[in-house]
Amino acid sequence: MKRSPNTLFALLTLLIFAGCSSLEITEEAVANQSVAGVSISSKSVATQAVLANAVVYFEYDKSNLTAKSIQALRGVSDLLQRNSKITLSIEGHADERGTREYNLALGQRRAESVANYLIANGINRNRLNVKSYGEERPLALGSNDSAWSKNRRVELK
Amino acid sequence: MKNSCLISLLILFPTFVFGELFLEITKGSEDPFKIAIIPFEGNSKTSNELNSVIQNDLVRTGEFSILDEELLLPIQIIDEELVYTDWKLLGMDYLVTGKIIKTDNSLDINYEIYDIHKKRKIRSSKVFGIPNQIRQLAHYTSDGIYESITGIKGIAATRLLYVNEIKDSKFISTYKLMLADSDGKNEKNLLTSSEPIISPSWSPDGKKVAYVSFETGIAKVFIQEISSGKREAVLSKDTQISSPSWSPDGKYLSLTLYQDGNAEIYILRLRDRTLTRMTKQYSIDTESSWSPKGNKILFTSGRSGSPQIYELDLRKLNPKAKRLSFEGTYNAKASYLPKEEGIIFVHRADDGLFHIALKYKKENFIRILTEAKMDESPSVAPNGNMVIYGIKEGDLSMLAGFSLSGARFKLPASSGEVREPAWSNFLR
Repeated sequence: MKRSPNTLFALLTLLIFAGCSSLEITEEAVANQSVAGVSISSKSVATQAVLANAVVYFEYDKSNLTAKSIQALRGVSDLLQRNSKITLSIEGHADERGTREYNLALGQRRAESVANYLIANGINRNRLNVKSYGEERPLALGSNDSAWSKNRRVELK
Repeated sequence: MKNSCLISLLILFPTFVFGELFLEITKGSEDPFKIAIIPFEGNSKTSNELNSVIQNDLVRTGEFSILDEELLLPIQIIDEELVYTDWKLLGMDYLVTGKIIKTDNSLDINYEIYDIHKKRKIRSSKVFGIPNQIRQLAHYTSDGIYESITGIKGIAATRLLYVNEIKDSKFISTYKLMLADSDGKNEKNLLTSSEPIISPSWSPDGKKVAYVSFETGIAKVFIQEISSGKREAVLSKDTQISSPSWSPDGKYLSLTLYQDGNAEIYILRLRDRTLTRMTKQYSIDTESSWSPKGNKILFTSGRSGSPQIYELDLRKLNPKAKRLSFEGTYNAKASYLPKEEGIIFVHRADDGLFHIALKYKKENFIRILTEAKMDESPSVAPNGNMVIYGIKEGDLSMLAGFSLSGARFKLPASSGEVREPAWSNFLR
């Protein structure tokens, strides 16, 4: 009864995964790939590289930007100002400690912090899609300080 | 000999079933009721299965110790009266006897409970069922025994919701929303997704579930009917929606909406989908949970600078949130005990570890009830006597439970991780 959406999700995941792992795909090729109207990535390799390097990290239970993360975000802000066509997905994450729903809200606050920095630098809010995965999508596995500090992050895509 | 082979086969068989949870009873209470259960008269295979489910149900509560089958005595009845003396000598408090009545399309059980000290029959009951529902009949019987002896309604015939995450060889996750009997058996898959599923919540009548699914790319709350699988998003808004909790009358869902750029609590009237905003704070407000009478909600708020538990009185106009937790810097995801005599929640202790804690209304201190490292998502059984929650052993998440009388049990899965348990209401 729920087969068809599941198959679609599986397909989406596969395609997204494929898109992420093959970095040499050209801008045109990437832009043309879409499933059911959902475009996978329309960003150039250069843009993707700037975004991949601009992961913003946070202190435990905090959502304020540090001096270091502001530095990383300057490049993104410049990029968005130079190219008004780029829209951004801002994904907040939390480490596994604490409750799942509180972490979802914490991830959202972190993503909002990043969005607010960009808005303060003249970027229109309509270009920013702010969301949170809470603790559901850890980057590093394991229950230790090193893994936790990598997981308290905002990713830009 | 033949019987014992059969029993071991029955016990071993479930290990081959995919996704099954295993029940491990790790500790009982210190002063349990001593009870003898005479195998029920009737088909020996049915009787064995009934006996094993009933014993498991009773032992899991932590309040019973059951006499070894080899030590059972023959029942002696003189002048229509049970001879109590022998059972008293064995140290028993109660004796249970029963009979299986099978016809072509029904399977019923008659059972009797005797109080050895008072020397009288305290219950004579009949449960009705159909032949392929032996486990269900056993759960009904366990609940009758539990209630007669403790005076508290049993929860063997209730059910659990939880999330199962399975990673493939490339670490790609599949998430499953699962439903099972209170002993982890009779599992059913309600939803499978490549995106996370969190926060399952029961409708009070046990016919529907609400949960958060990320299938559209962001958190959204869905309602799904268990029998038909029919499901829908509760709101068509383009914002993140999470943390559903059903009001006790089933007419409302409290939710967390992110449309204000921040987590705020709203109440959704299901009939016409109208929303009422309940919190207005720059900080996080989430994890709402209704009081059993439906006139208050608990929630977690970061307004004091750290997550703490607050209560809102819904009968008041513009109610002011009342802070309930003051111990430590992290108290979250609270729910009421069924008589509102206290709350169960997640507490971070001074050592930085997360435990399940209880605070009674009358007391000005908290009781820490668990001792692992990352205990989370406590859900209270409808009789208020048991709590199921998520633990982490090594890197693996599994379910564990305890009774307020001190018993403990674990429910690890045969594959993947299990978490986010939610205990149903009484279902009959």
